[in-house]
Amino acid sequence: MSEILRTHDLRAGYGLIEVLHGVNINVDAGEIVVVLGANGAGKTTMMRAISGMIPRTGVVDFLADDIAHLSAHKVTARGIAHVPQGRGTFPELTVEENLRIGAHSRRDSFAADIDYWYGVFPRLQERRLQRAGSLSGGEQQMLAIARALMSRPKLLLCDEPSLGLAPLVTRELFEVLQRLNSETGLSVLLVEQNANLALEIASRVYLLETGEIVSSGTPDEYMNNDAVRKSYLGH
Amino acid sequence: MSRFFQYLFDGLSSGAIYSLLALCLVVVYRGTGYLNFAQGEMSMFCTFLVWKLNDWGMPLWLAAISGMLIGYLGGATVETTLIRPVAKRSQFAVFVVAIGLFLGLNSLAGAIWGAPPQETMPSLFPNEPDDFQRIFGASWRYQSIGILIVGLVVTGLLFALFNKTRFGLAMRAVASNADSARLVGVNTGRVLAASWGLAAAIGALAGTMVAGTTGEVVPGLMFSYFVYASAAATLGGFDSLGGAVIAGLTIGVVENMAAGYAPKWIGQEMRLGVALLIILGVLLIKPTGLFGEQKVSRV
Amino acid sequence: MALVTIKRNSPQHIAVRVLGVLLVVIAVLWVPTKMTTGNIDSMTNALALVIAASALNLVIGYTGLISIGHSAFFGIGSYATGVLVSKYGWGHGWSMIFGALLAFVFGFIVALPALRIKGIYLALVTLAVAVLFPTMMKWPKLEWLTNGARGISGIRYEELPSLPFLGELKGRDDRTVFFYWYAIMLVIITVLVCRGIVKSRMGRALIAIRDNEIGAEVMGVNLATTKTLVFGVSAALTSLAGSLSVARTGVVTADGANLTLIGSIVFLVVMVVGGAATITGPIIGALVYVWVDNYTRTASASGEGLIGWLFDWSAVSPASIILSVALIVLMFVAPDGVFGLVRRLARRVVVIK
Ligand SMILES: Nc1ncnc2c1ncn2[C@@H]1O[C@H](COP(=O)(O)OP(=O)(O)O)[C@@H](O)[C@H]1O
Ligand SMILES: [Mg+2]
Repeated sequence: MSEILRTHDLRAGYGLIEVLHGVNINVDAGEIVVVLGANGAGKTTMMRAISGMIPRTGVVDFLADDIAHLSAHKVTARGIAHVPQGRGTFPELTVEENLRIGAHSRRDSFAADIDYWYGVFPRLQERRLQRAGSLSGGEQQMLAIARALMSRPKLLLCDEPSLGLAPLVTRELFEVLQRLNSETGLSVLLVEQNANLALEIASRVYLLETGEIVSSGTPDEYMNNDAVRKSYLGH
Repeated sequence: MSRFFQYLFDGLSSGAIYSLLALCLVVVYRGTGYLNFAQGEMSMFCTFLVWKLNDWGMPLWLAAISGMLIGYLGGATVETTLIRPVAKRSQFAVFVVAIGLFLGLNSLAGAIWGAPPQETMPSLFPNEPDDFQRIFGASWRYQSIGILIVGLVVTGLLFALFNKTRFGLAMRAVASNADSARLVGVNTGRVLAASWGLAAAIGALAGTMVAGTTGEVVPGLMFSYFVYASAAATLGGFDSLGGAVIAGLTIGVVENMAAGYAPKWIGQEMRLGVALLIILGVLLIKPTGLFGEQKVSRV
Repeated sequence: MALVTIKRNSPQHIAVRVLGVLLVVIAVLWVPTKMTTGNIDSMTNALALVIAASALNLVIGYTGLISIGHSAFFGIGSYATGVLVSKYGWGHGWSMIFGALLAFVFGFIVALPALRIKGIYLALVTLAVAVLFPTMMKWPKLEWLTNGARGISGIRYEELPSLPFLGELKGRDDRTVFFYWYAIMLVIITVLVCRGIVKSRMGRALIAIRDNEIGAEVMGVNLATTKTLVFGVSAALTSLAGSLSVARTGVVTADGANLTLIGSIVFLVVMVVGGAATITGPIIGALVYVWVDNYTRTASASGEGLIGWLFDWSAVSPASIILSVALIVLMFVAPDGVFGLVRRLARRVVVIK
């Protein structure tokens, strides 16, 4: 299997405070890799470090090129799409404008992609001329994912998409992610605090604690690990 | 009745300039969240350049376009080199740099072109004593009609830019959520520089038209216009382009009517007082303006 | 690491502080006894700026409210003294007090929108005030009071009082010395008021407001009232500087240097160049400002030195150009101003623990 992403000794933080203390992870083509970690472990920081939203040191190899020195908009152009924690939609723009700006890094025609996403999320089509700010949480998350995928990325970074969503909506969302993964071969790096559903769709799992990867393994190993079950699965 | 139309028309014409300058403020504000206190002085300085180019023999319209181009480059450069580096620190730092620009450009103009420089400025439009049309008993000077048309055309172009182009969408995205804009691949730095450049270019055009009506270029050219423009931006809600335009025209009409119908109390001297009252009133009663989002942060 | 470490309130610390006070006292005494009349006058001018910039500092440096309308408060003091002394025969002192009260009320009104909006938007209101003030003073309706665009002249102390130590004051030189001491007295009042406010419970609340609004509310401080009151006090202090200037020059016109928008900007420059949010900053800023102003004026007039050579082409004194460049450069290299820079450098040598 070919490797999409590999980080080596990835360090990042805010001001003088280092939050990530040398993270090494990798994502292979077609995988859904889940990173579990408690609140404040540095999951969001890791995602932001990969997509170039914050200054970082170390190596971020994407398709065998080091992108650790690139700024965020160039990382996007390379083929990484990042759905930030809290969705990060553009509330003042309409749903359709949100999708159009999602394709900003592309130079080709993307009208067909918009129709495709309306097919995947019919509710977005119903609301295409509404401002994104008026959507419900679940709709916003769908919009955020569709917008990210408008750039036709090779890797999708997804930061706690389940946050604030009803379990049913979360399940629906994860099913879409899984379907995209199996149908189009999209690689996904998914960060979650609430792990039950995430483990169901994961190919591989990392555990992040206070800025360091402390273990990795298959979803099954984690589901059967008592300590992990207590901390992240709530049962 | 003819008086009414006269005040209305004169008001619309001066309001068109307030609108243009208010648009400059709004374009910068939407992109960066800053009020550019040096906007008026940037316009004034560009107007001096336009005047100088014209003085050297360039046709005025060409000089105005050149002035706008220089303004664009200057505005973009100011944003990248002076504003953005200090913006990380605080809004106050941005304010101080803008004040530095204000004082710097103002005194530089005075230093280069003499103090007080009183350069005669031709108008972009026919401006002989009999260059007017009588409509509804009011005299509609070609100069004022020209300003109104230019104002509307620029506004229309700006709307088209924001709503119909890829770059305009990117600008709106940055205004809406700068972090997400970076994540979808927008080069936010370029957008911010372009916002300042655009504002400076429009400001150059507005300044040229102001100087054309007064017939002279002086360092204090834009002081009062900047106040009117801020009043318009405040009334319009700071982040609304349409709001700025409507508010600018409204303020122009209101202050002309006030000055015209109460010549003893308000007259030409106290027109500015009307603008001050509008700013005070709006900020006290509805700080988000008439068309704005909840962006002006409230205590 | 610092070369020397001194304990707070140790004898060494006290000695350093006494030495500092002594130096200031010597400097204050040195000016009127050793300087030429022209230079003493410049110092008085600097002291007026110290007052205005300290007052502005109270608003900007400590509360985070932004004002570019303080020229209007300066103007209120100027006109109060000008009108009351020349037309109604008031004494200078009373006219100054009246001006300060008037400025307090106006400042309070101007700051009212601060109840609802944040710092930078208040600046818009103050901007409008700054632009409107000279216009209003020239308003024909007020001509009976302000003499319109001509302004008021010939506002002088008829007789200077005789002062202890200084004795009878006569002629131009004595007059200059008198106004110097007059200014020193007002600066002391201003510094005491500013210190008083900053060190008080209200002052600590102010700093809380600047740093974190919510925090201050938790402290049980009424934000709105505090802000507007401080703005009023700041306006009143600024008007003192206006009264002082009129007493010194004997004239007031609506377009006078410190009464227009440019005046507000000068106060701001003085404050930021010296160092915002410190008591000493505005004093240093004013000295720097007046020195740069005088130096560049003579240098560019005579064409001598680097400044004269650099600004050979300039039709006017390049002081404002140099100051605005300095202002911008300072925001990059030392946002805490000259005083902040000096303090940081000094801490490399001496640290007080
Ligand atoms: N913008 C920020 N500035 C300073 N510290 C931050 C910032 N964002 C997060 N942190 C700190 O970094 C650490 C990791 O945060 P984060 O990456 O958001 O964790 P997670 O996403 O795993 O909950 C936390 O201690 C948090 O307080
Ligand atoms: Mg997080």
